[in-house]
Amino acid sequence: MAKIPVSMVVNGAEVGPVEVDEYTSMLDFLQEYLNLTGTKLGCGIGVCRSCTIVVEGQDGALQPIRSCINNVGRFHGTKVTTIEGQAERNSDGALLKLSPVQQAFLRNYSFQCGWCTAGFVNGATALIDRLRREPVSANDVEQVIEEALGDHICRCTGYVRYFRAVREVIESTPGLLKEVE
Amino acid sequence: MSRLILVVLCILCVDIAAAQTPIDKGRYLATAADCVACHTAVNGRPMTGGRPFHTPFGKLYSTNITPDKKTGIGNYTLEDFTASMRRGMGIHGNLYPAMPYTSYYRISDADIAALYAYFMQLPAVEYVAPENDLIFPANLRFGLKAWNWVFFDRQPLQQEAGKSPDWQRGNYLVNALGHCGECHTPRNFAYALKREAPLAGNVLEGWDAVDIRPQALRRQGWDRASLRTLFRTGVSEQGAAFGEMFSVVKHSLRHLSDSDLDAMITYLLDDDETASGTVAQTTGDPQAAAEQHPQGRADYVAYCAACHGREGTGITLAFAPPMHRNAGVRGENPYNTIAVVLRGLPVQRMSRTNARAGMPSFAKELNNARIAGVVNFMRTAWGASGTAVTEDQIAKIREDLREHGFLGEHQ
Ligand code: FES
Ligand code: FES
Repeated sequence: MAKIPVSMVVNGAEVGPVEVDEYTSMLDFLQEYLNLTGTKLGCGIGVCRSCTIVVEGQDGALQPIRSCINNVGRFHGTKVTTIEGQAERNSDGALLKLSPVQQAFLRNYSFQCGWCTAGFVNGATALIDRLRREPVSANDVEQVIEEALGDHICRCTGYVRYFRAVREVIESTPGLLKEVE
Repeated sequence: MSRLILVVLCILCVDIAAAQTPIDKGRYLATAADCVACHTAVNGRPMTGGRPFHTPFGKLYSTNITPDKKTGIGNYTLEDFTASMRRGMGIHGNLYPAMPYTSYYRISDADIAALYAYFMQLPAVEYVAPENDLIFPANLRFGLKAWNWVFFDRQPLQQEAGKSPDWQRGNYLVNALGHCGECHTPRNFAYALKREAPLAGNVLEGWDAVDIRPQALRRQGWDRASLRTLFRTGVSEQGAAFGEMFSVVKHSLRHLSDSDLDAMITYLLDDDETASGTVAQTTGDPQAAAEQHPQGRADYVAYCAACHGREGTGITLAFAPPMHRNAGVRGENPYNTIAVVLRGLPVQRMSRTNARAGMPSFAKELNNARIAGVVNFMRTAWGASGTAVTEDQIAKIREDLREHGFLGEHQ
């Protein structure tokens, strides 16, 4: 079994270089090697998006990527954020402040069993990052949320509240909506 | 006891056969001809039209073929219906040849009558499709007369002597009713089928409708069993149906009778050629591939292997088909292998409880050189294609797909 050296930045911390079996999925890498168990395995086949994590592209844009259907090699040399890295922490790792998306999810009770939540929060975080660069008009918000998060599956089906939470963040964050002329 | 069951079964079968009305027959034929696929818009009502077709001349919409008198075919007599099916003559003028009358002119009278009976008893729906959006001179319908005159050559169906009845039935299904050639036959500058190269493959709507001539099918490893599985389920060990072909399986092929499906396969694989047994399947050399295309292999492992398997064996068939027997990878034309990496694939739903995962688009993440690397790795490992794909080739396909809005549809 061939090994590959991987190194990346996960939630702000340097990881590696470590040698791993080249076929290790990113989800397994996070859970087994880094002990980051917040990323959840749902379907394992790229359908449900519960395993979505965020990767910073070369242009600095955040991309949501499913960690179950991608092997660890895809993330070599990238900056990755998992649900554990969303909140602000001090140098001892103590929690300082939740991210705006996390806060909105809490405010709206946007979870039931919580299995899909990490994926939703990460997907929404990437969406908000995109809107920062490409604002949309207020009329399109619903559609933009649907496009970005419509494929995330929640077995407990609390979609209305997830979408409401994301809409709240979009509407209350300056610069995400186009000024009406 | 078992004899009694047999007798009851026989009576039932006789009953079913006797009960086949022209409408039932028409329904079956309309399924074989897959009318619903073209005459239904996304989320639209079946047969009411409004589905767009992207041609080099602009956008064209299918029409309402329910028996609504105002907007559909309610005023058509059987003669009018025949004229539109066989000659593309609608009562309001020429139809565009996107309506496959260049294949349908070979449909038998009896079948046309049954189709007519079926359509005329559908619920009438009032609906007008959006206006076509075609460039000059394609927007002038009278030009189609000239087009028909030059390009519409009405040769009867060639039923070669000495072929089995099964082959002949398959020929009729493939070349008349099923109009497979409308997608799979290359077209000339005027978008007419190249009669000299039937079923030789053609790129349209950003996919390659592959070469389905017997030699090509066999070289890619298709046999009777795998074609039957593909036509019944949309997936097989040789790869999956996607794009328009998926909808053909979903709406048409999987509903055909066993004997008709077998007839089509007999025609497509051409039994006579099997007897002479000329075509060797192509396979590849994973070892050589890894040595020749190290970056391609690394990218295959990172991006593809989680689903398609480390040795290209796929994971579960219904989810991700294998690469090592994949007809697309073995095909001479690398178009689909490249396009699928760039475009990704949507989730495909056969029914409420039977769906296949989608594939993400890698257009943003992988540049042309790296896509060329992955494709070359796969084609060397499992395709034995001989010719390498180049960065320029990828760039060109990327540009074409981007221009038509097919790029990165499925993130
Ligand atoms: S677990 Fe990754 S998409 Fe479902
Ligand atoms: S909260 Fe249970 S799966 Fe979404």
